[in-house]
Amino acid sequence: MKKILLTCAALILTAGFGTATASTPEEDKAAWDRFYQQRFPNVPEEDYNNGVYTIDKVGRENWEAIEEFPPYEPFIDAGREMWETPFANGKGYRDCFPNGPAIAGNYPHWDKETGMVMTLPLAVNNCLEANGEKPLKYKKGPINNILSYIAFESRGQVVNVEIPGDDPRALEAYEEGKKFYFTRRGQLNFSCAHCHLQTVGMVLRTETLGPAKGHPTHFPVYRSKWGTVGTLHRRFTGCNKQVRAKPFKAQGKEYRNLEYFLTHKSNGLELNGPGARK
Amino acid sequence: MQKRSIISTLLLALLLALGSTALLADSHGGADPRAGQVEQAINDAEAAREKAGSVDGEWRDTAKMIESARKALAAGEYDKAMKLAREAHQQGVLGYEQAMSQQELRIPSYLKY
Ligand code: HEC
Repeated sequence: MKKILLTCAALILTAGFGTATASTPEEDKAAWDRFYQQRFPNVPEEDYNNGVYTIDKVGRENWEAIEEFPPYEPFIDAGREMWETPFANGKGYRDCFPNGPAIAGNYPHWDKETGMVMTLPLAVNNCLEANGEKPLKYKKGPINNILSYIAFESRGQVVNVEIPGDDPRALEAYEEGKKFYFTRRGQLNFSCAHCHLQTVGMVLRTETLGPAKGHPTHFPVYRSKWGTVGTLHRRFTGCNKQVRAKPFKAQGKEYRNLEYFLTHKSNGLELNGPGARK
Repeated sequence: MQKRSIISTLLLALLLALGSTALLADSHGGADPRAGQVEQAINDAEAAREKAGSVDGEWRDTAKMIESARKALAAGEYDKAMKLAREAHQQGVLGYEQAMSQQELRIPSYLKY
């Protein structure tokens, strides 16, 4: 019975497909903007960085009440302490990130030297390792403290992910992220786009499906369900698992390219992390 | 293009439905010592899982099912083990099919370019 229901769901979600001709990142961004604009004509552009609370009025009231005593505050404080505490070799995060701690707006970016998408958590661990420190785990634990602090200090910076034209590998990484976003996965046979574009605004069990535009602006996020702050890639993992697909490695190539593609769709929005969610 | 995607979705749906009936048909009683057969079924399931994984099509619970099948086999629960192995095998096959049907990026028509 359950399988039959799932099959029905999969069938219902069979949408038509447009042309298969390649589109540029700018064209993709414009198409997403148009799509959400038509779906939610009354939502002001700059409000999208509030994620699902952009469109969920009741949820928004609860959320605003929670934000009066932000549950992520202790994590910011712990992160500040990490930032200010020297490594064993006497150096610190400041030596790796001279413009820090407000640096979240520089990520993710294409790193020509290593030929890969550089994310903030990866840069943090590169810094630790370069200084003989143990790298941090990518989903749970203290990485969320340092990321909370950096996110907080970076509030107000504007997302501006660039896909540089002088290195074809950057566009390739972007395209891989795009492919990921539209690929059906798992026993439920859903893609990211099914929930966050096609059926955006619908309610799934108790949760409203939020627009993908604005998703990455407020990470790391304190989730009541987790009882703590978690990274963007932890959330990717959860969204893969809920369609019963095997998740990918946090900070592996798949999720980094996905982050690159997805964050580009938030270009122009203000960073407002850390966030608080259900 | 559109037709092909609908056909592959239908096919997948059909396979899912067939999968569940195949499982139902299999649950007969008896505790006959079929250790060898079960072991073969588990190996087949593992191979199917790996094949799905090789194209990023592995499903969430397949590895756990195979693990449970191994435990059931070790405990002499052959029917249970066989059922789990068959379902895991089915998942591996479907996960592979699914990934192969998605090789090409297709932008949905609700996005207007
Ligand atoms: C079955 C539906 C479903 C699918 C498929 C799905 N998600 Fe989600 N996702 C949700 C729900 C529900 C939430 C919580 C409400 C919200 O923020 O949109 C969520 C939340 C998120 C968030 C956190 C947003 C925030 O503001 O904190 C991110 C990021 C995300 N999803 C990314 C993805 C990605 C990437 C994929 C594809 C790998 C994906 N989702 C697939 C249902 C889904």
